[in-house]
Amino acid sequence: MTFEKILLRNVEIPNSEKIDVYLKRGGYQALRKALHEHTPDELVEMVKASGLRGRGGAGFPAGLKWSFMPKAADVTKYVCVNTDEGEPGTFKDRLLVERDPHSIIEGVAIAAYAVGAHRAFVYIRGEFFTGVKRWMKAIDDAYARGFLGANILGSGFDLDLSVHRGAGAYICGEETAMLESLEGKRGEPRLKPPYPAQVGLYARPTLVHNVETLACVPHIVLRGPEWFASIGTEDSTGPKIFCVSGDVNRPGNYELPLGTPLREIIYEHAGGIKEGRQLKAVIPGGASTPMLTAEHLDVPMAFETLHAIGTMLGTGGITVMDERVCIVSAALRLTRFFAHESCGKCTPCRVGTQRLVDTLQRIEDGRGQQGDIERLLSLCDGIAGHTFCPMGDAAVNPTLSSIKHFRHEYEVHIERHRCPMSS
Amino acid sequence: MTKVQITIDGQKIAAEAGSTVLEAAREAGLDIPTLCHHPALSNWGACRICLVEIERQRALQTACTFPVTEGMVVHTESEKVVAARKFVLQLLFSERNHYCMYCQMSGDCELQSLAYRYGLTEWPYPRPVEPLAVDATRQYFVMDHNRCILCRRCVRACAELVANHTLGVRERGIHSMITADLNVPMGESSCIQCGTCLQVCPTGALMDLKSAYRGRETQVERTRSTCVGCSIGCGIELVSRANHLVRIEGDWDAEVNKGLLCVVGRFEPLFDDRQRVTQPLVRRRGLLEPCEWDEALGLVAEKLSGDSLAALITTRATNETMTQFGRLFRSLGAEMAAVGSLAPAPGAEGRLTDLAEADVILVVGADLKKDHQVAGAFVRRAVDRGARLALVADADNGLASYATWHVGFDQMDSLVGMAAQASRPVVVCAADLPAEAEAALAPLAGKASFLGLSRGSNSRGAVAAGLPLSRGGEASARVLYILAEDDRLHIPRNGAGFVVAQASYVGPLTDMADVVLPAPIWAEQSGHVTNTEGRVQSVQAALTPPENVWPTVKVLKTLAGRLNLAL
Repeated sequence: MTFEKILLRNVEIPNSEKIDVYLKRGGYQALRKALHEHTPDELVEMVKASGLRGRGGAGFPAGLKWSFMPKAADVTKYVCVNTDEGEPGTFKDRLLVERDPHSIIEGVAIAAYAVGAHRAFVYIRGEFFTGVKRWMKAIDDAYARGFLGANILGSGFDLDLSVHRGAGAYICGEETAMLESLEGKRGEPRLKPPYPAQVGLYARPTLVHNVETLACVPHIVLRGPEWFASIGTEDSTGPKIFCVSGDVNRPGNYELPLGTPLREIIYEHAGGIKEGRQLKAVIPGGASTPMLTAEHLDVPMAFETLHAIGTMLGTGGITVMDERVCIVSAALRLTRFFAHESCGKCTPCRVGTQRLVDTLQRIEDGRGQQGDIERLLSLCDGIAGHTFCPMGDAAVNPTLSSIKHFRHEYEVHIERHRCPMSS
Repeated sequence: MTKVQITIDGQKIAAEAGSTVLEAAREAGLDIPTLCHHPALSNWGACRICLVEIERQRALQTACTFPVTEGMVVHTESEKVVAARKFVLQLLFSERNHYCMYCQMSGDCELQSLAYRYGLTEWPYPRPVEPLAVDATRQYFVMDHNRCILCRRCVRACAELVANHTLGVRERGIHSMITADLNVPMGESSCIQCGTCLQVCPTGALMDLKSAYRGRETQVERTRSTCVGCSIGCGIELVSRANHLVRIEGDWDAEVNKGLLCVVGRFEPLFDDRQRVTQPLVRRRGLLEPCEWDEALGLVAEKLSGDSLAALITTRATNETMTQFGRLFRSLGAEMAAVGSLAPAPGAEGRLTDLAEADVILVVGADLKKDHQVAGAFVRRAVDRGARLALVADADNGLASYATWHVGFDQMDSLVGMAAQASRPVVVCAADLPAEAEAALAPLAGKASFLGLSRGSNSRGAVAAGLPLSRGGEASARVLYILAEDDRLHIPRNGAGFVVAQASYVGPLTDMADVVLPAPIWAEQSGHVTNTEGRVQSVQAALTPPENVWPTVKVLKTLAGRLNLAL
């Protein structure tokens, strides 16, 4: 049975980014319903009941996040849309922004109404040139049709939305770093607590959500939280866009219920491994999640099931590596990304990630020394759990998980003084 | 204050609710190491050296940021904690050039002392080989990036204390560098050389050109005193060794400045290269020649007892000197003056701390980037916090870019009217304002608090000693007595037949004097000065004057004795 597309239901229709197409497809009905038939508190309860969890990587329950926002009407509050999709292997938000921006605007407007915010900001990754244009055009059109601005759909609710482009830093996907950047400062994470729901943008309570999370909201409002919760598993409800990349026949975005087995996604939807080769390793949820091997392929892609086997659902960015991949080289490349993106605020991440790169590079170049594997493990041990923000924990995952599953390959590199995969 | 019961390393502690684990531990005398933390700055939590183990917390937590809660149990030196700290230190030592034996901070460096404390005996990671450029473009100090650990105390001091926002960080990750403005050499930046960054630097990355290699903490003496660079009277610590001043630091506990200083107070006295007057001098055949005190005082006493006498005193002098000076010359019937002036205060006199509460600050005639610079920092901080600055000053005023409104004296009334509408207005006035400007402030009497910035460090002390204030050029008499000490006074001779200069340094005054009496500099004598708020503060001698230089008061008393005046 093919799964009915929910989040991606519009993206293949010609001109799906245009407001007329969106309206023709039933767009903005959820906003109308939310504003006229529901109180803000009811909406918070609906999102809670739907079991929706954040799609940006951490999987925090969205309804809970909404309920943390102060109720007082006289407090200025903000909603921020995190479109800083920078996690390697992840390209779902970009698709939604480019092909269905109005579904996100609708989600933003409902969320803002629910938490009592009248100002919302889109923070978009600077490299998304098309996405920026689509966002801005969609916002202009939404204003023109009365879905944004003063007295939306005659409900008395006002909301302004504008776009801010990032300058190119992975760390700005971390919500407090994003807020710093949005304020015009250097993009670095803030001390938590306080969390953004108490002290966020310009020190006001702020709700920060990923694009895909917000895109779920109109469907929850229209079709009810029970319907949403009926999709997926008990702890991971709703549809999820899985981004499949790497050595597969049909890389791309696949919308499936949470809990779909990894094997099904890779072998059925993405068409299996190229030229019938063997799968060597797979990263299940973006570069920051620990990699798995062929023996884990039957794991259901849900928050709790992946957690149980020591990895994470993350963003749902699945990167497949076949038998030709050198695992040291892969770990090096991934770790180099984290070292490059370290903001430099805290010592373990700033220096530690670079020392990981130095050591991995040495091993890959055939200059590895006895004890280098232990050195890598002790670096990971020193970094993980000791950094200012979760990026340190993410940065050690490629190294840790590759040693865990492929220690022998590291040893061969060191013993033979060369990479066995290179000719 | 509510207390919570916590346990740190087995010791039961009643900690103040809302304080951090670090504060609670330090209050109880327990030493948790820190690098990026500084008590005068915001909590940063980034160096990760203060990680501690807190029971029921998943990961180690930074003591400098983690708030205490009832029943909390903390371990500050557990195996896990020590391993994490050692790791952080190893990384820091692998990041840049920390060859301690070549560094002027060796012995006083916070990084080095932690390396000893945690027994760093090896380099587990390759050491850096590429040297980084040293920024030596500033007049008084140097930034050596090779010794920087990126703790950003300097950046926070520049932003939070001085509110000058010169320092920042460029690049990211391992390429992060402390930078001035948009990556220009410090000497070409907006830096005002206040040196607050030097005072907070935990390593040898920021060093001043005077004190580097001139003595470790164990070899120097510290004397708490008051700066007489201007009438704010900042609390300072004079750091000296073998009767030489090596450094001046802001006193963190001083009520007036809370550790802040400016270039005038921190650096200029150290780089004073004028030639000292070390013995009495008498002019003979046009040339100043050394003589004994007895001869010089005899000659001066003889001239003072004649007719038509004018006596001028520097406002850098202490209250004690002012009093003695007043007594002597009053009984001689001299025309007296102290060289300074008070600023107008047509309403309630305020304090510098009022700036922290102000919503509108009206600055009239003062350029706080040039004079009274520490007050300038307080004004900028207020602006950062959201207060609005109304400036009545010349177009090139140093705080112009911080001002919401900026007008000339001719349009002053509009800003006075606006300030009168504010809920907590503070008026900062320069001395020597035009009479019309003074009059224009009248509507704010009873509404604003007034902070007058008097010219001359101790003008208020002079007034209290009964000395009139003057610009110093008006005196005309047959005999002119100028008590200048180390002040750079410019006093015209105005046809006087005989000039006595009591001065510390050779300069224009000694050039025209007929008798020169050597005087101690400010760091060589104790007493009190009264700052522009009226606060009487203590000045302490940190140095011993040269052998033949008498304390100023002793000279005045001896003269009185010679003249048979019972004072």
